[in-house]
Amino acid sequence: MNRALLLHTWRAQRTKLAIVSIALAAWGFLLAVVYARFGSRFTALMQTGILPEQFARFGGGDVFSLAGTIALGLIHPIAIMLTSVFAVGFSATAVAGERQPGTLEVALARPLSRRVLYLSLLAASFGFIAISIAALLAGSVSGATFAGVVEELPFRNLPLLWLNSVLLFGALAAIALAASVSFDRLTPALGVTLGIVIAMYVPEVLGSLWPAAEGLQPYSLFHYLKVKAILGGFVALSDVAVLSSAILIAMVWALVVFPRRDLAAPS
Amino acid sequence: MHAIETVGLTKYYGHRSGLVASLVKRLRTSASPPVRALESLDIAVREGEVFGFLGPNGSGKSTTIRLLLGFLHPTAGRGRVFGLDTVRDSVAIRRRIGYLPSGIALYDTLTGEQLLDYLGELSGRPASRRAELCQRLELSARTLKRLVRDYSRGMRQKVGIVQALQHDPELAILDEPTEGLDPLMQRAFYEILDTLKAEGRTIFFSSHVLSEVERVCDRVAIVREGRLVALEETVGLLARRKRNVLMRFTGPPPRLDTVSGITNVEHGDGFLTCRVEGSVRPFLAAIADAAVVDLTIEPARLEEAFLEFYDEAATT
Repeated sequence: MNRALLLHTWRAQRTKLAIVSIALAAWGFLLAVVYARFGSRFTALMQTGILPEQFARFGGGDVFSLAGTIALGLIHPIAIMLTSVFAVGFSATAVAGERQPGTLEVALARPLSRRVLYLSLLAASFGFIAISIAALLAGSVSGATFAGVVEELPFRNLPLLWLNSVLLFGALAAIALAASVSFDRLTPALGVTLGIVIAMYVPEVLGSLWPAAEGLQPYSLFHYLKVKAILGGFVALSDVAVLSSAILIAMVWALVVFPRRDLAAPS
Repeated sequence: MHAIETVGLTKYYGHRSGLVASLVKRLRTSASPPVRALESLDIAVREGEVFGFLGPNGSGKSTTIRLLLGFLHPTAGRGRVFGLDTVRDSVAIRRRIGYLPSGIALYDTLTGEQLLDYLGELSGRPASRRAELCQRLELSARTLKRLVRDYSRGMRQKVGIVQALQHDPELAILDEPTEGLDPLMQRAFYEILDTLKAEGRTIFFSSHVLSEVERVCDRVAIVREGRLVALEETVGLLARRKRNVLMRFTGPPPRLDTVSGITNVEHGDGFLTCRVEGSVRPFLAAIADAAVVDLTIEPARLEEAFLEFYDEAATT
């Protein structure tokens, strides 16, 4: 990895990182408060049978327990969009977005191999994701403390949840960066990545709401982040292995393809 | 050892080989043929010389540079910089060079100073020439504190020149370096090149501004449609080209039809025009007895030699 490139990337993204982290922390805070204030009412409402049972398990999350609320917070489209600012946005534009205007060739005119460039950007992306997820969890802890339900929070399992979440969004970032090094232009890199993320997100949510679609869930990376189970102290190694494998495959692809590609002239 | 050496260096865009080629062939009924960007380029740039690389847009100049930097992979042939292979040893090569791309793109959200610091740090060598370059190109400390996005085109080009040369590279590869510079700054830039040359640095200079190539280059290569059409000393190129002559006289016109090196002779009422190639001595001898009133020999311009090369290459 290249220190100068890492520092430059950090400086360029720090304002965005601060905004995303604050937003995620606020989101985590809000959900914990919502659970504390309205959780029992939601439970009562569900027990009346007015709402379909599937609404109580959207993406593996719910608002009937703090763990379920945190799960909902992580899988909810708002959290996905905010975390995707780095997992998808930054990663997909990191190479293709610099290749198109020509700043990439100014950097690569230095003694910097493409592999080092890629690994530095991947490390930066993982760092941003790690901070974003930590902010979300910190917001949840603060919200739970504020709302007086912090005793329901299994603190010792939070690092595992953080790690698993970083692995999930890190896998998306690795895919995005692999797309970024594979295309000359930003639009296809971003399009392919967004397509993959949506194609994974929809089956997971659909499977959680509609039992007939449950068979699709294993094809989604989101399926391998089981928040409630982790907060309950159970971490499936197979989930970690799947997410790690996705990262590894994307990395191998990028490390093989990127150095062999011709860098198109800027447009 | 040469600073740059290419042997049969060839680049086709859209060229695929092996399994990929056969797959594409099966999948596509009307696959577009590969586009030739460079065909079998053989050049050798000596250490310490200023080498001009001439050609119009799309002739293969930038492709050659991108091959030398390892941004592109050759379809055939090979390139070497300081004896290092452009594909295998690309990082080692880039440790020893400075590069100014044509129409350089800079990070707009940085100040000029931050940009130079960042690129200097990536170079891994101290920016020992920065102060001198900034002073010569009139880039003040105040200017460098401003964001790059507020810079004019000329200012960007100056920063581009500084970033390429600030770490005192052994070889500078400059693609259209005076683009956007005003005449005063162009002169300052030429003086910088003179200094670098005096210190033994090698400069590979791509341009289509012929007057500047004539001003600074020791040797010139001319490419056309991806092929090398000429490679020789600038002085030799200048000496070989034809000059336009306009002569006014009284009395009978001098006989020039049989004089060597003289072509396109045209007579008018008290004047004649012709073209002289090579030495002017035979021409001067032929008009020695004529009653010359006025004589204009247009200063030899590289541009004409350049165009002649193109005419010749096009007709052969």
